[in-house]
Amino acid sequence: MTIESNENGAYVKKFSFRPFAGIRRGRLYRIWSISWQWWTHEWSRSRAVKFLIGFQLFTLLITNIFILTTKDFLLLGGLYESTEQILEQTLISLVRGIVSFQTEIRGESHGSGDNGFDGSFTIGGTSLFILILAVLVGSGLIADDISNKTNEIYYAKLEKYEYILGKFGAFFIFGNVIITLPYVIEFGLLFVGLGDIDLLAVLPLLFQVILFTELVNLTYAAIILAFSSLTSRKLYAGLTTFMILFLASMIVPALAFKDNLVIGLELLSDVLTLLLISSYIIMGEVEFQLVSMDGIPYPVHLADGVGIEGWMVLGGIGAIVLVGILVVIIQVYRRHST
Amino acid sequence: MSTEIITTNQLSKFYGSIRGIHEVSIKVPAGGVGFLGPNGAGKTTLIRTLLGILRPTKGTANVLGYDIKSRINEVRDRIGYIPEFNTSFIPDMTAMKFVAFCGRMNGLAHSESKQRASDSLYYVGLGEERYRKLGTFSLGMKQKVKLASALVHDPEIIIADEPTNGLDPTGRNQMLELIRNLQTDQGKHVILSSHLLRDVEQTTDYAIVFSEGEILAQGNIKQLTSGRRSSISVKVKFNEEHFLNNLKDKGFEVWEEGGFIEVKRVNDTENAIFRAANETSTEIRYLGSRSSTLEDVFVDLFRNKEGIQ
Repeated sequence: MTIESNENGAYVKKFSFRPFAGIRRGRLYRIWSISWQWWTHEWSRSRAVKFLIGFQLFTLLITNIFILTTKDFLLLGGLYESTEQILEQTLISLVRGIVSFQTEIRGESHGSGDNGFDGSFTIGGTSLFILILAVLVGSGLIADDISNKTNEIYYAKLEKYEYILGKFGAFFIFGNVIITLPYVIEFGLLFVGLGDIDLLAVLPLLFQVILFTELVNLTYAAIILAFSSLTSRKLYAGLTTFMILFLASMIVPALAFKDNLVIGLELLSDVLTLLLISSYIIMGEVEFQLVSMDGIPYPVHLADGVGIEGWMVLGGIGAIVLVGILVVIIQVYRRHST
Repeated sequence: MSTEIITTNQLSKFYGSIRGIHEVSIKVPAGGVGFLGPNGAGKTTLIRTLLGILRPTKGTANVLGYDIKSRINEVRDRIGYIPEFNTSFIPDMTAMKFVAFCGRMNGLAHSESKQRASDSLYYVGLGEERYRKLGTFSLGMKQKVKLASALVHDPEIIIADEPTNGLDPTGRNQMLELIRNLQTDQGKHVILSSHLLRDVEQTTDYAIVFSEGEILAQGNIKQLTSGRRSSISVKVKFNEEHFLNNLKDKGFEVWEEGGFIEVKRVNDTENAIFRAANETSTEIRYLGSRSSTLEDVFVDLFRNKEGIQ
């Protein structure tokens, strides 16, 4: 017997291999354990996550400095009527930037987000970073388990639906830290910095921002996890997801805007544009403009019975989320269990 | 309390038209039990079905009195499973974190899971390496981590599926010793699934032999080995053929193996051998008892099965 095993034996004798006499925690705790374990592990190992959060906070800081230093000029110049409006339009513009690669196709509303500062100098970079990081981090969520064969260990301890919920939960933690939280912080900073704002008047905006970012989280989660469950190679899953989302956002608008009068229904096949339009629905706007890459504005009315309608947009997102979740369920219950 | 830890009744699992297990009815007694059979015999399918990883096509099963269809979560909390696959785990996670995480998935509180992870890793001999990343571990160490992660939540049953796969002789002996100690020192019920007969023979008292998804035999290993091919080995000089025929004429089962004449042991076999030697003027140079091993049982069972087919 080696010295080492003697030491181990002595440890076990000293502290004993105690029988467990406590109460086992419930199912939700176990699901949460999967999500939280993944997040803390990603956080501790991934420099990219830390970098992106740093980048997010930096852009928000720059935005705040710009807004707060120019607040009086913006009001005096007549660009904004009140500090509430500055907060509202700055935040909406920033939040829409999450799903807009190109400012050219970003919505130009007749209502909120119109006229004033649009935060465009931060938007393109942030949205690309968010997508890249979401894909980079999320695509390994299930693919790594298949590749490392750790899914067998999960399935021996948990129901498969608990495993799926745990993985979605993991992505939601990531999404909330990367996507939702910075904009909630931004809301708080602008609210405090601008001053003289009635909280009750702007509180609905906060809820709208949270609702929209959660919709983005859910959609990204469904798509990224679906691709992650289809392969044991994280790289393949990530590249495919990114290429599909990125290329669709490049190609589809070009096809949809080819007619100079109306936007084609092809636009419904671009996830990012669907999310962009859904932000208008969440903000309660049905009439706005989308600007094509060559700068031509296209009016959109989501409730006039012509072209793209609000129900189509929400239905499209719903269908994408549903298909994504179904793919994950089928893969986990059928293919990974044989 | 029943002495059976697992009972199955007509349990079947089909993968489409492919048979995984077919109408398996077993009673697994408490203590150490070996699931024995060649690769593809259905051992892993049965284990995965008992753990709820696979849904049975037909039949019922109980583990420690819990029905696997309606109370699978209670079953899972009482089983520690060492999967067959050579997992690479999460390469950049430490053994400590991984084992504690496994504990939390079985419902242990955060602090409890950490303490027990430490205990488990010490128990399997990885106490000093517990903060090393799993990606730096050798195959033998990974197998020990699997064992620690199966132990962390203090299960009543440990199911080890081919735990010595790919291990060198030292690693293999260490792993078998750990598994044996779990049974003898810690009072756990151990199910060792293996195609390696010696592993099962060294570790458990009871064996269930699988073949093509069915149970070929089950019983106490001593009974299995004593009843079958316990024989007397004889080496003779002169008139070997006469000697053989004489014994066969007297109704003995005789065969040649490894340079010896093997005579299946029945009552008074030794005297019959001496009489045959006397009658055929044969000189006995060696006579010794040969107790059969699990390997003999295994070979016999499969020989009989092939004969029937």
